[in-house]
Amino acid sequence: MLKKLLWKSVIIVSVSVPLLLNYSGIILSQGLEKEASVEENIPTKEPLVVKYIDSDLNSADKAFEQVDPLKIELQMQDLAFPNGGGSVKELEVRGFHNGETIFFNLRWNDVTKDERAITHEQFRDAVGMMFPLEIVTISPETPFSPRMGDRGKPVNIWHWKADWEKELHVAGGFEHMEDEYPDMWHDFDFDPHPDYFNKRVHESIPLMAGGIATGTLLSKARGRSVEDLNAIGFGTLTSQAHQDVKGKGAWKNGKWDVVVYRPLITPDENDAQFVPGMETFFNVAVWNGVEGDRNGQKNISIRWRPLKIEIVKYKE
Amino acid sequence: MTLVHNWHLGRTMEYPYFESRPKQQFAAVFNINRCIACQTCTMAHKSTWTYSKGQEYMWWNNVETKPYGGYPQFWDHKILQLLWDNGNNPMEWYTSAEDMDEKKAPYGLYNGDTIFELAKTKGLNQMAVGYIPDDKEWRFPNIYEDTAASEKINYETEAAKESSELPEHKRWFFYLQRICNHCTYPACLAACPRKAIYKRKEDGIVLIDQKRCRGYRKCVEQCPYKKPMYRGETRISEKCIACYPRIEGKDPITKGRRMEARCMAACVGKIRLNGLLTGDYKNPDPKNPMDWLIHIHKVALPLYPQFGTEPNVYYIPPRWAPRGYLRQMFGPGVDEALDKYAAPSRELMAVLQLFRTTQTMLSRFEIEDGEKIYESEVMGKKVEVYNDTVIGYASDGTEMVRIKVEEPTWESDEKRMITY
Repeated sequence: MLKKLLWKSVIIVSVSVPLLLNYSGIILSQGLEKEASVEENIPTKEPLVVKYIDSDLNSADKAFEQVDPLKIELQMQDLAFPNGGGSVKELEVRGFHNGETIFFNLRWNDVTKDERAITHEQFRDAVGMMFPLEIVTISPETPFSPRMGDRGKPVNIWHWKADWEKELHVAGGFEHMEDEYPDMWHDFDFDPHPDYFNKRVHESIPLMAGGIATGTLLSKARGRSVEDLNAIGFGTLTSQAHQDVKGKGAWKNGKWDVVVYRPLITPDENDAQFVPGMETFFNVAVWNGVEGDRNGQKNISIRWRPLKIEIVKYKE
Repeated sequence: MTLVHNWHLGRTMEYPYFESRPKQQFAAVFNINRCIACQTCTMAHKSTWTYSKGQEYMWWNNVETKPYGGYPQFWDHKILQLLWDNGNNPMEWYTSAEDMDEKKAPYGLYNGDTIFELAKTKGLNQMAVGYIPDDKEWRFPNIYEDTAASEKINYETEAAKESSELPEHKRWFFYLQRICNHCTYPACLAACPRKAIYKRKEDGIVLIDQKRCRGYRKCVEQCPYKKPMYRGETRISEKCIACYPRIEGKDPITKGRRMEARCMAACVGKIRLNGLLTGDYKNPDPKNPMDWLIHIHKVALPLYPQFGTEPNVYYIPPRWAPRGYLRQMFGPGVDEALDKYAAPSRELMAVLQLFRTTQTMLSRFEIEDGEKIYESEVMGKKVEVYNDTVIGYASDGTEMVRIKVEEPTWESDEKRMITY
């Protein structure tokens, strides 16, 4: 009897284990992420040297003329579902620091300027820089995803947004529905004074919005054009409670020219820290709004780039 | 993708997450036959949740005229077209005895692709096929109001000369009341790359986390019912929240008992009954009005079950509309549901009295027998009406409502019958 049972269980297990292994992709998978290739864990050779230049934001343009750009090839994001991007092919990065603040300059071609995300079909232009949060070695033996970091391998992401940039220069620091729909108070209204009446009714009640209640930076004037974020893998992007990064950007002749900057050292433990003389890594991504780019639909570089920060040269 | 069971389709289907049914499920039964499209539900919703800037176009509850009306315009035509043009065996149902199962496949077996399966087999960059409606499509929530189906739709050759008669009218339209379906397998939830959308374990309500949402509009794109909406003012998306504070019993009026959602409680035509389905669809509770109407009596049917999301708002189909159209909209259960509704059983007659008698959600009903008051014949079927008494109880066992089938009437004194 016992022997029989034993045989039975051996047969059942020997059948069910291969079956489970065979279908484990279907049974156990929750996401749709493909495996990263080995090459992705090998950073490129050519570094971006962040030169020490005694300059500041006002004369940053001149400082950037003194440094060599690093050209980064971009491709579509094809690993994390939903995939997308591919419309922007190349990004130029420059960097310098003045002993206190680190400045990066990002330039890429984009024939359309998409700096609003108010209607259903509007998506913003944006650019992102990513740094490992801690000092790490990256190699096939010690992998570190160049995409969005990983569990136990956090990254710090700086995300510049074209609409946030525009909002720095509008009254109140935030664009509202009426900026996109200037006739919203009197569309379909035959009242002789609709402008006065509808506007007054609308403004007589406090704005009720989940976004505002939860304090989402997307939903209110935030006085900066770069969002300071963290991630530990796909779908985990989270805005920081303490925002430290700023930026300024302009679109001219089919080209975005964006500067993002931050103090080298911040008191925030969720920020990557930059000490002159150190070496770390960075990666970039570009979103082209007119193509519907958002989230994983973006133009990315799939290799980490070394980042060398020059030591401060004191004047005699 | 994982395999989950969808009892509307009578089969397992592909879904990005494991099957995880809530303990109880927010649900409603809408009796289309009684709706007069007064839009009181729509305004109750509007004045409660979407009166603020950026929500001008938002109608989490809307009532549209079928076959042409739709908010956003032609939403169902467009999804059906996507399935029809690209899917395998679109809209194909098997309804023979062996394809039916009282518990797991009460309507039969759907053989076509769902929106999830189509997206996968076609290798689309979506979890579920869909599209983002543009401003123009959102702009006219009640377009084609009261517009009847053209003669051409039903009868290619000649105009209907005679007046319309049951069982099918030749000139027809009906009102479709729509809110978020709080689906068992929400496409919006599947679509969100950030997992900002969640389905509550306690009552199955589907919500967008306003803190995690980043306005990617994937939910707007992939919900086939088009109920998540993007709010330009805050750059993030919002959707029907099933008035969850009321469902939780936070409103003091019902003294901590669960309360029907605003759009339900406001219904003038008494077409709506809101409640919680008991979580196990295989063992429905015959004394729960929701379970009884949906699972046991099967008089209320899901909206477009072939999409595959297992929606949880159920409709008693309109008696007069062409069956082909209704089968496309509510699945193959239409004929049985309409037979039962046209010649209602003694029990159905009693349960229908519960609609809109109280704001408190009813979780149990009892019927006390009364005398026979009426007898007739409908479509060759004998109908007997008994003046039974139906009693509705809240989940804590308190009797909330006691009502008879025959409405009490009062004849005024002759002196008061003033005629001019």
